[in-house]
Amino acid sequence: MKPKPLNRVQKLWRTATASRWVRIAFTVVVAVVLAVIPLVSSKSINGQLSTMAVYAVAILGLSIMMGYAGQVSLGQSAFLGFGAYIAAYGVNQNWPVPVIFLACLAIPALAGLLVALAAARLRGLALAMVTIALPIIGIPLAKRFSDFTGGSVGTTVSWMKVPDWAAGFLANDQWRYYVVFVIAGLLFVIGRNLVKGRIGRAFAILKENEAVAIAMGVSPYRYKVLAFTIASMFGGAAGFLYLVVYQYTSPETLSFHVSINMVASMVIGGSGSILGALLGGVYYQLVPVIAGQIDPSSTALISGAILLLVLFLVPGGIVSLPRRILQVSRHARRRIGRSATTQNPPDRALAPAATSPESTEKSERKRQGHDELP
Amino acid sequence: MMNFRNATRVSGVVAAAAVTVLLIAGCSRGDGGSGETNAPSPGITDTTLSLGISSPLTGATAGPGTCTVAGLYTYLEAKNAAGGFEFGDGKTRKVNLTYLDDAYDPAKAVTNFNTLVDDGIFAYVGALGTPTNAAIMPIANEGQVPQVLLVTGASTFSQDTTANPWTLGLLPTYYTEAHTFGEFLVAAGKPITVAVLSQNDDYGKGYLNGITDAIKGSDVQIVATATYEPTDTTLDSQVTELAASGADVLVSAVSVTPLQVGVLTKAQSLGWLPRIFLPSNTSTPATILAPGNAAAYPGVYTTSLSKVPASPAFASDPDVVAYNAAFALYGAKITTTFTPHCAWSYAEGAILEQAFLGMKEPTRAAFMTALKSIKDFDAPLLLDGITVDTTQANTPAISKLILVKSSGPGYGPAGDF
Repeated sequence: MKPKPLNRVQKLWRTATASRWVRIAFTVVVAVVLAVIPLVSSKSINGQLSTMAVYAVAILGLSIMMGYAGQVSLGQSAFLGFGAYIAAYGVNQNWPVPVIFLACLAIPALAGLLVALAAARLRGLALAMVTIALPIIGIPLAKRFSDFTGGSVGTTVSWMKVPDWAAGFLANDQWRYYVVFVIAGLLFVIGRNLVKGRIGRAFAILKENEAVAIAMGVSPYRYKVLAFTIASMFGGAAGFLYLVVYQYTSPETLSFHVSINMVASMVIGGSGSILGALLGGVYYQLVPVIAGQIDPSSTALISGAILLLVLFLVPGGIVSLPRRILQVSRHARRRIGRSATTQNPPDRALAPAATSPESTEKSERKRQGHDELP
Repeated sequence: MMNFRNATRVSGVVAAAAVTVLLIAGCSRGDGGSGETNAPSPGITDTTLSLGISSPLTGATAGPGTCTVAGLYTYLEAKNAAGGFEFGDGKTRKVNLTYLDDAYDPAKAVTNFNTLVDDGIFAYVGALGTPTNAAIMPIANEGQVPQVLLVTGASTFSQDTTANPWTLGLLPTYYTEAHTFGEFLVAAGKPITVAVLSQNDDYGKGYLNGITDAIKGSDVQIVATATYEPTDTTLDSQVTELAASGADVLVSAVSVTPLQVGVLTKAQSLGWLPRIFLPSNTSTPATILAPGNAAAYPGVYTTSLSKVPASPAFASDPDVVAYNAAFALYGAKITTTFTPHCAWSYAEGAILEQAFLGMKEPTRAAFMTALKSIKDFDAPLLLDGITVDTTQANTPAISKLILVKSSGPGYGPAGDF
């Protein structure tokens, strides 16, 4: 009677995805939960959740560049830091918040565009090397222009306080949480629409094979530049949110290890997936905290062990966990269906799927590849 | 059809769940800070007090970072084992220390700080790092949580005590260090030419300003300056440029160990033998003076603050004996490598003890008042002549340094120029 629960899971999933109403209901539940959490949880929890959203946005940009368009970037922290510095400058100059936000989108995107116009002529590792240079140049620059950046001590701002109309029932951390989540939510919708549309399809071909892309009329150069610009824009937006949460930025924000950690988090969350970027943000923030609770003297060691564990167990990232279970079940069902016609006992038919993960993985990969290139 | 019925059922459940959640939300979260002034602050009971610290325990600055935890932990645990700390309100309390790792990342430091405050620490003490503490400063002052005795040489933390009344630095600033050099040169009472090599950021500027201010109006004169980037691989061209000035004194405010060694070897290879002034963090005999062949110079000076527990010169010093015994018991669990930060943080424990003694009420405000009224206190492991004075506005707890001159394998009194 093994296949029955699998069947039910699948049916439920199909119902859930097929019915618009359930999907809306699901979204509403998530939104309500997210809206209620800050009201009941502590300041540090709110801070941590907001931080997850900040890094999720930066990782989303990275994922569009690396996961969808297949171009390696190790310089995302430079755009995160740049965005934060622009926001800090705007606050100090008393710019209105929407202007600051737009500047945080536009200026890093422009900087990314300029870098990409030169760098996108390169491919693979050469492009990765160029992106490494960004945080390495960024830190001394940030220290040098201390009138703009506050030097190595960094710059502190005081903004995004709860407005008067909400001051009676919201604290600063709660207000900032809402600001961050609303903006991050919008950015995720934009990101999703980008990768689901024409641009996303072009990115997929670019990632698969540049020669094929040319043959199909997709200019690899132009789309690489576009991918890099989009990634920079999301990096800048994350910088804006970073300043909302921390009210502070310093050259450390730009540092190379932040970039590396974001790449690792993106891969662990699930490269080339919107939900994966979100999970990456959660991972980025949560794991050092957990590691610190276990043993503060060896956080790096524990984080490394968790990273390896995740990569061994779910190589496709955390996001692939339910999908994988589902695919295994679908695979099993198909086999059962086939076995029913050939009158094989279902238990035996199920056995190979359960015992040889290699074969399921292979077919799974094939199917994924097929799905990606419609 | 089936789907639709399913959907209505699901949305019914959703609606019910949402209503429940909203009802829970209606009871808003408990507010931590109560309005009364005499009520005990969080983190303090009649028998315990909890402190928190977040320092870099992994990564490039892990050595000094771990020492800031280990030194403080040693002092607190030794005192707890001996019965506990006496407080100004007549009670005796054990002091617990919770420590977390921030890997020198300001974002992590803020997360750690918020976590510690949520876990109910009374005060945040002794954290190492300039950007990390700078990120915490506004939050600590907004939440009125003491953020004190910070192990950093940046002037930001003690500069403006009216804007940041809950923050206090522990160590003399880079400015003070360079100022000490300048005072020494001025005291010589004769015309001296000085060349300054400093890092191209605000640390370097602190040095340059310190020495410039100290020599104002005297016969001492800066004749050449050069800057470098911490990422430079060699400073040969800067040294050559400064050597051309033929200055009597070279203030080499280089914070990177191999570069500092390179400066010492390059200057003598050019035949330029000025008196050398080194910052305390790059003046260790074994790693800087010996490989740089500093013996070639007429004099190498640096500033010092604390006794070196491993040095034979202090082997019978009662402070050092007590420190070594306690460290083997407690601090050695956290680190076994010594940096001066271990000694400083141990002294910091004693400063906290003084503050506890002066605390009349179990509140954070009373703690800050007591902490800011310590004067002429001889903390253990500090050199003779260096005392703790927290009563001066806009200065860190320790603001004095002693100039020492290299002699043989270590440093001795500076004497006259």
